[in-house]
Amino acid sequence: MPNTATSPAPYQLALQQLCDSALPTGAFAHSLGFESYIERGLVHDEASFGVWLSAFVGQQLTYSDALAIRFLYEDVSVAELDALLTAQLLPRQLREASTKMGTRLLEIGAEIFPSPDLTGYRELVGSGRAAGHQPLAFAVVARSLGVPLPEALAAYLFAAVTSLTQNAVRAIPLGQNAGQRLLRQAASDVTAAVARAGSLDLSDFGAVSPGLEISQMRHERQRARMFMS
Amino acid sequence: MSATAAAPAAVAAPMGEVALRIEVRGGRSVAARQFHQGALRVLRPHYLDESGQVCYVVVNPGGAYLGSDLYVIDVEVAAGAKLLLTTQSATKVYRTPGSFAEQRMRLRLGEGAQLELAPDQLIAYREASYRQNTHIIMHPTSSLVMSEVITPGWSPDGAAFRYEELRLRTEIHVGSAGRGGLLALDNLLIRPPEHDVTGLGFMEGFSHLGSLIVVDGRVDQELADELHALTDGHDACTGVSLTASVHGISGLVLRSLSNSTDELKRLLGACSALLRQRWYGTAPLDLRKY
Repeated sequence: MPNTATSPAPYQLALQQLCDSALPTGAFAHSLGFESYIERGLVHDEASFGVWLSAFVGQQLTYSDALAIRFLYEDVSVAELDALLTAQLLPRQLREASTKMGTRLLEIGAEIFPSPDLTGYRELVGSGRAAGHQPLAFAVVARSLGVPLPEALAAYLFAAVTSLTQNAVRAIPLGQNAGQRLLRQAASDVTAAVARAGSLDLSDFGAVSPGLEISQMRHERQRARMFMS
Repeated sequence: MSATAAAPAAVAAPMGEVALRIEVRGGRSVAARQFHQGALRVLRPHYLDESGQVCYVVVNPGGAYLGSDLYVIDVEVAAGAKLLLTTQSATKVYRTPGSFAEQRMRLRLGEGAQLELAPDQLIAYREASYRQNTHIIMHPTSSLVMSEVITPGWSPDGAAFRYEELRLRTEIHVGSAGRGGLLALDNLLIRPPEHDVTGLGFMEGFSHLGSLIVVDGRVDQELADELHALTDGHDACTGVSLTASVHGISGLVLRSLSNSTDELKRLLGACSALLRQRWYGTAPLDLRKY
């Protein structure tokens, strides 16, 4: 491995750019369901958001996003995984969030990290044969950059946690330092999610508990809202 | 690796098995083929109204699912036929030490076929582990309404949620066999000991879960909104959303958390009554009248 004190891994800076919260995929516009908990008064401070975030990482991000990324790395076809995600993301806004951010990531990726696999996925999306989901767009790019799976998973999950926390800081609202404490605390959930994603199989794909899903569905009918999901 | 891969089998030989093929004969739906073996059978069919829809009731004379039990239900509703499939009583899953009970169900709906699936509730007792794998292939012109209630059973210390794990995985394909598109993959997982299942994100402090899945060419956003409004008056926390569409067909998924089986039955019953009246021109289901 060339990763010595004098040279970063060749994908290092690319991965940081891909996972930077400034990457314009529109993540600032999505709560992925936590805004429903704010409306019901169940998420209202640092601790209660931390409980939601931990549940979200342990379920949604592990069983859907992380598994989709792992299966793509294991050569399952991107078309098949795309169809599975579309079928499994039952709450409409969650599905739309995934494809909105995924489509943006495909566009950005084509400009800065082009690869034959990325072109292939974009063609499937362009011709209506795939929807273009965020974890798959990320996985195609990360894999083409040579990012090893555990690093790709950890980086993706932590980037998701970072945008959600930034959104919570604005929406609840929380102090900036509270946001940083939440991120540090979420690191152990992310590490656990990477390990768990490695031990699951296809029958686990998309497994969810009812609570998160119902809140994501209820967001569609919430009157006052800051977020699209 | 394929989208249709199911969870590993509990055992090779089913503990109980029911197979039905429903066809239209002389304006009424009848079983053209019927098979049962072991601990599952069906009662004599009956007709609740003049619609021609036949009602079959699945019976488990043993009364319960135990560890390593596999139950298999295979139903085909042929072109134009109408079936209501229910159960005689609640499905009870008892202790399954070191293994799990499994129900595998395959459903096929032909052109213009109609299937209502309305089993009694599933009760999972202490140390019960259960997997339900349901695989459905629907013709784009067919109509599916399936409801389900899951409740925790009694445990000696009085605490709910002492079951080990419940997995209910449902795949719905629209199209014909081999050329179907995956419309919905509903993969419910409830595993109490690992997390605080009663808490936020999991069961939200509720003990009972109700679920309704509707797939029909007439499903649209307006219907989803209407069903959601219908659930407003109930003592439950409910969400309704549309699935993606395949071959121009969308599905609708409703999920509801509550602390009462009866409340969930009333809520799901109200939704089913609206659909039956509007689409099938039939009265609300009253399965306890015979």
